[in-house]
Amino acid sequence: MTTQAARLGDPSRGPEEDSFLKRLRRKNWFPYLMTVPAVIVVVAVVVYPMAYSLFVSFTPFHLLRPDTTSQFVLEDMFNNYARLARDDVFWRALWNTILFMVVTVNASIVIGFGMAMMLARMTFAMGPVRVLLMIPMMFAPVLIGFQFAWFFNATVGLVNNALLTLGLISQPVAWLVDEPTGMMSLMLATIWMTVPVVSIVLLAGRLSLSEELYDAASVDGASVYQRMRHITLPQMRPFFVIVMVLLSLDIARAYDIVRIMTDGGPAHRTELIWTYAGQLAIRGSQFGMASAMSMAGVVLGVTFTFILFRQMMQLRKDMG
Amino acid sequence: MRDTNMIRSGRLAIPLAAALAATALGAGTVMAQDELAYAGLDKDLSGVTIKMANIGGGNYEAMYDSISKFEEETGATVEIVFLGDGFEIDRYLKTNYAAGTVDFDVAWNHTSFMSQYTNFVEPLQDYFTAEELAAFSPSIIEAATIDGNLQLIPRHADISALYYRTDLFGDADLQAKFEEAYGYPLAPPTTLDQMYDMAEFFVGEGVIQFGTEFAGKEEAVAGRFYELLFANGGDYFDADLNPIFDSEAGIASATWMRDLYANGLVPLDTPNLVWDGVAANFCNGDVAFYLEWYGWYGYFQDPESCPNVAGKFDLTRGPVGMDPETHTGWAGAHAFSVAKDSQNKEAAVQLIKFLTSEAVAFEESNTFGFLPVRADVSADVEAANADTGTPLDAERWALANLQVSEDFRTPPLFADWISFTNDWYPTLQSIILGDMSVEDGLAKGVSDARDLLDSLGYY
Repeated sequence: MTTQAARLGDPSRGPEEDSFLKRLRRKNWFPYLMTVPAVIVVVAVVVYPMAYSLFVSFTPFHLLRPDTTSQFVLEDMFNNYARLARDDVFWRALWNTILFMVVTVNASIVIGFGMAMMLARMTFAMGPVRVLLMIPMMFAPVLIGFQFAWFFNATVGLVNNALLTLGLISQPVAWLVDEPTGMMSLMLATIWMTVPVVSIVLLAGRLSLSEELYDAASVDGASVYQRMRHITLPQMRPFFVIVMVLLSLDIARAYDIVRIMTDGGPAHRTELIWTYAGQLAIRGSQFGMASAMSMAGVVLGVTFTFILFRQMMQLRKDMG
Repeated sequence: MRDTNMIRSGRLAIPLAAALAATALGAGTVMAQDELAYAGLDKDLSGVTIKMANIGGGNYEAMYDSISKFEEETGATVEIVFLGDGFEIDRYLKTNYAAGTVDFDVAWNHTSFMSQYTNFVEPLQDYFTAEELAAFSPSIIEAATIDGNLQLIPRHADISALYYRTDLFGDADLQAKFEEAYGYPLAPPTTLDQMYDMAEFFVGEGVIQFGTEFAGKEEAVAGRFYELLFANGGDYFDADLNPIFDSEAGIASATWMRDLYANGLVPLDTPNLVWDGVAANFCNGDVAFYLEWYGWYGYFQDPESCPNVAGKFDLTRGPVGMDPETHTGWAGAHAFSVAKDSQNKEAAVQLIKFLTSEAVAFEESNTFGFLPVRADVSADVEAANADTGTPLDAERWALANLQVSEDFRTPPLFADWISFTNDWYPTLQSIILGDMSVEDGLAKGVSDARDLLDSLGYY
C-alpha cells in the first residue's frame, strides 16, 4: 500500500524523500556487500575489544574477581581515570613514552637515512650488504631484548667488560638501572632494531630518484650539500613521511624489548604506558585501571597517527 | 579454616611453624628408603594426558624427573605446558584463569599466592581421605582451607636461612683484620648490623665482589623487606589491614637496604634481580653471604653446577634486627592444585598424590634439600642424613628444625598480597636507589597501600 502510494506520488511525502528512496533503490549495493566479511573481522578483532576495554575502564574490574566486571556504577564510572590523573607514575610513564617515541623515531630516521645514502653510492657488493643490513629485522623483539640486556648487564655484560678492559671506565656501570642510561639503553636497542627498515625504505626511495636531476645540478655547479638540500631531501619527503608513520605506530606499541630489558623499572625509571598497564593488569590484577591507562595510550597513538596522516595528506596535495 | 580476605599475618606463622616443627622433628618410624611408599599409582590412566603448569628454574625443574615413573606405572602422559619462575607462573595462571583459557589440569600454587586463585581451583578435600591429608602439616592444610574448600596439597616448605662462605669466614688473616677493625670476632652474622659490617669488611678487603645481596624487584624484594621489618619488630599491616610499615622498624629496614646499595656492598643491578639472578651470583662465588631459601642448597652444593662454592659454604639461622628475640624467617610452602576447568580432575589428583607421596617427597628433600611437609618424610630424611659422614647435612636438618619451629613467618595471607607487593616494590626500589628519602618513600608506600586496598574494597 505504502509502496503503491509512493509510486503514485503520495502528496503527503515530500519530493526530497521520494528522490532519496529512488536513489536508495538505484544504488548498487554489491560493492558494499563485498566489504561485509572485512567489516565483521574488523568489528570482531578491533571494535569489540576496544569497546569492551572502554567499558571495563569504567568498572572496578579485578582480574581474579570476574563478578567485578559487571559492577558498573554511573557515579563511580570515572574512578579509574581520576586515580590515573592523581598517579605520578602514570604521568611519568606518559612522558617516558613520548620521549621514547620522539628520540627513537628521529634517531632511527637520521641513522637510517645516512646508511641509505652510503648504500646508494656503493658500486659493488650491494646485495650482500643489504642482506647483512636486514639481519636485525629477522630477530624477534624478545630476542633483541635478551641480547641487549646481556650487553648492558652490570656484572657480566659485554659493554662494561669492554670499557673496563679498554680502561675507559674504572668501575662497572649499572646501565639498566641508572638514569638516564636505562632509557638510553632501551632506545639504543630499539634503534638497532628499526634502522634496517628505515634504511631499506629510504634506499629504495633514493634509488627511485632520477639521476638526471643530480647530473643537471652538477653541471650547474651545485655542491654536495646543495644537492642534498634542494634535490634529495625534498624529493624523498614522501618516503620520510611513510617511514615516520610506520615507525611511530610500531614504536608507540613498544613493549617486548622494554619488558625484557628493564620491565619499566627500576623504580619506574623506564616505565612506558604499556609496561605500566601490563603491570597493573596482570601482576596487580587491576584490570579496570589498566584499561583506563590503555585508553590513554590509544588516545596518544591516535593523536600521533592523526598528525602524521595530516602531514601525508598535505604532502600529497603539495606534490599534486 | 578462614575467610577469603582475612589477614593472617603473624597469626598463621605460629601454628604453622609449630606444626612444621612437629613435622620436621617427627619421631615416626624410620623406614628404609626402599620401603618408602609411592601414592597415586593405583589407577590405570592409559590414554589420559595430564597437563601441568608449573614453577621452573634452579632445582625446581629437576623435581619433575620423577614423573616418568608415574607415566610408566599408570600409562598416563604428563605434558608440561608451562614452566617459569614464581612470578612468571603467577602471571601465566592469573591470565589463563581470568580469561577462561585454562589449558592445564595441575597447577603450581603457593601459600603466598593461593588466596588469589580461590575462584579457579578445584576444592580437593573430597579427593583425599582423612588419612592421606593427615600426613601433611596440619597448619598448612588448615591455612589452605578457605571457606571450607581445600585449595592445595603442599609439596615442600621453605624458609630463608643465611648462606655464608666458610672459606672467607674461616680465614685466619681475615678474622684478625676484622676483629681489629670492628672490635668483635668474624663469625657468621647474628644481627642485621653485623651483616652490614661484614659486607663492608669483605668488599673493603677486596676478597669478594659483593658482601651480600638481595633480590631487588617484585614480591622478592617486598618479601625480603618484610622479614627485615619483622626482625626489627615491625609489620606491614595491623590486624585490620591498616598499613603500618612507616614505623621505626620500617625506617631501619629500608635504611639497611639503601645503605648496602649506596655503598656498593650489593650488586649494582640489584633492582633488576630476582631469584635466579641472586642465586647465580652466589653460585659464581661473587657473594660472601646472603639470605636465601633452603631449596637452593642442593644446587649450590653440586660441584658441576657451582664449582666455585660447592663444599665452601654453610647455613646459619637468620639474623635478628632491633628486636633481639625475632630472627628473619620469611617462609611459605610450594604446592599443587587442580584447575576447576580441568577435564581430567581424577587423573590430576592422582598425579598430585604421586608427586606429594612419601617416596617422591623423600627423594626431592634428600637430593635437593627442600624442607618436607610430611612427618614421615622428615623422619626419613633425618635418618638418612644422620650417618652419611657429611656433618653439614645433619647440621642443616637441625638448623631447619630450629628455624621452622621458631622463626617460620608467612607474609600476610590476604587475597591481594601480590597486588600490594607489586604496588609497593617500585617505591621501595626508589628508596634503595636514593630517588626518595626513606621517610618519604615509606610514607608514600603506606599512603599508596591504603589507596589500593580501599579501591579493592578492604575498608
